[in-house]
Amino acid sequence: MGGVTTTAGLATAAPPRTARARLPGRWLDRYFIAFAVTPTTLLMLCVFGLPLLFSGFLSFQGWAPELGLFDGKFVGTANYEDLLTDPDFLGSIHLTLIYTASTVAAELVVGLGIALLLNIDLPYIAIFRTLLIVPMMITPVVAAFCWKLLLDPDHGVINYWIGEHIVWLGRPGTALFAVALVSVWQNAPYVSILLLAGLRSLPHEPVEAARIDGASVWQMFWHITLPLLRPYVVVALLLRTIFEFRAFDNIYVLTSGGPANATMTLSQFTYLASFVRFDLSLGAAASWLMLLMSMLLCLVFMTTVRRRDAN
Amino acid sequence: MAALNYVGSRRGKLLFAGGVYLGLIALTAAFLFPLLWIIGLSLKTRLQVFANPPLFLWWPTWENYGAVFQRADFVQAFMNSLLVSSGAVSLSLLVGVPAAYAFARFPFFGRNFLFFGLLAMRMLPPIAVLVPMYVLFSKIGLTTTRSSVILAYSTFSLPLVVWIMRGFFEDLPRELEESAWVDGASRYQTFFYVVLPLIRPGLVAASILCLQLAWNDFLFSAVLTNNATRTLPVLMAAFSGGDTGVDWGGMTASGVLVILPVIIFSFLAQRHLVAGLSSGAVKG
Repeated sequence: MGGVTTTAGLATAAPPRTARARLPGRWLDRYFIAFAVTPTTLLMLCVFGLPLLFSGFLSFQGWAPELGLFDGKFVGTANYEDLLTDPDFLGSIHLTLIYTASTVAAELVVGLGIALLLNIDLPYIAIFRTLLIVPMMITPVVAAFCWKLLLDPDHGVINYWIGEHIVWLGRPGTALFAVALVSVWQNAPYVSILLLAGLRSLPHEPVEAARIDGASVWQMFWHITLPLLRPYVVVALLLRTIFEFRAFDNIYVLTSGGPANATMTLSQFTYLASFVRFDLSLGAAASWLMLLMSMLLCLVFMTTVRRRDAN
Repeated sequence: MAALNYVGSRRGKLLFAGGVYLGLIALTAAFLFPLLWIIGLSLKTRLQVFANPPLFLWWPTWENYGAVFQRADFVQAFMNSLLVSSGAVSLSLLVGVPAAYAFARFPFFGRNFLFFGLLAMRMLPPIAVLVPMYVLFSKIGLTTTRSSVILAYSTFSLPLVVWIMRGFFEDLPRELEESAWVDGASRYQTFFYVVLPLIRPGLVAASILCLQLAWNDFLFSAVLTNNATRTLPVLMAAFSGGDTGVDWGGMTASGVLVILPVIIFSFLAQRHLVAGLSSGAVKG
């Protein structure tokens, strides 16, 4: 900041005539930061701050769409109590955690595998990199829809190969698997790009030294490459956890939460409560619980990473 | 580079390379198969789609694509998607780029607070914002308009723009701006004539990533639009809602048309895209 003030001071000390000619400009200069930051702040307030505050308010109300904004009746914590005693909601918390943990784990393992292969210096390897990231660009709704046709019990190509008539989306276990599979298919490439960037930035010397000392490939990977790669793995883990926790598109298209709530994640539950049953105050309460849970997730991550880095 | 050194002899190296290629080919085939199969379906007639056993070789037909372009709802949704996503990108760039510059260069009151807010905006589940947003928008008569979707999209595109652009601004040497100031340029002139032209790659990366996110979004536009203003993903979800029906050719053809623009666009700007993805995510 010191440099900024001195240059500004220098400019004001310029010859009088130029100084007068630029006077309005200098006056405006002092407010440059305000002009740069205010629009962002306002937009954030409009689409994020105020809505969240309002939904906090709404969650303590009994509100119906035909009422005015502030005409709802204060009901205290009734909405929250309803949710926390509703086995469907508790089940959906449980399911969201299982879904998030298993998809993220699968994405990291597959993504790391792809990244390691792509990191090998061979001719034409860039072609594979380009092709492998295609699934990640596909619109999630379309991706889920593609899989819906592939998994179709009567005409799907997957059942044809297996040679059995499996109703993939009609049974709880296979439905959850199918929903997770679509997400892993789309997002493992993303993880591999992040990890590939990490692998590229690692120093070569430790691996070289280990090789000279006669370490095996597995030892080099497990004791050198992986520990060095840890910061990138942590970033990928954090980002994917956050984005899987909110999973919606693939589930909506494939199962809409069914069969028998087997794929009813929190996003799906909140969507149904708010925009199908139009119980918006219950939806607001559910979404605040979701917010608190994702904040807690972030916090846990940050502190574990900090603590391990401090050691 | 490093991995090749794991194996010693020349024969070993050749074997190793062969194994790597085989692995990559298998992986790529597995990852691309669903997409290729869908493209294949879109090029089949109704009889061929449901042929048993499935056809792997046939003479492609374009009739499904012709039929899709005849559909008024598809063309309408395509235009809506185009309008809404370009609107969202423009809004976020216009609002977010100056803020990113301020973040990268100057300390100011509330800087950390604002930054935390942007982070929260990107990280917290969108459905949590959407519920109250729907209530507020419906009371001021903004639901079912395209503007409401553009505003809603800024919840993810604004943080992305600020995040990516801040990285690009920070990489720019300060001396360029300082010499412009010494020469008597105002902050605004420096920003528009010195800084902005230099970070054009950053602008490209940020707009592509935003465009991709906006084009692919389903949740916001599903709630905030009606049949006249809905975007392509919403239309696609309506196609596939419940039973998949019999018009697989038509549905897959429209699906291919939805994803084609994003894929082409991403390929054209792949270098920027990868830079943006890793800078947005890895740089703290």
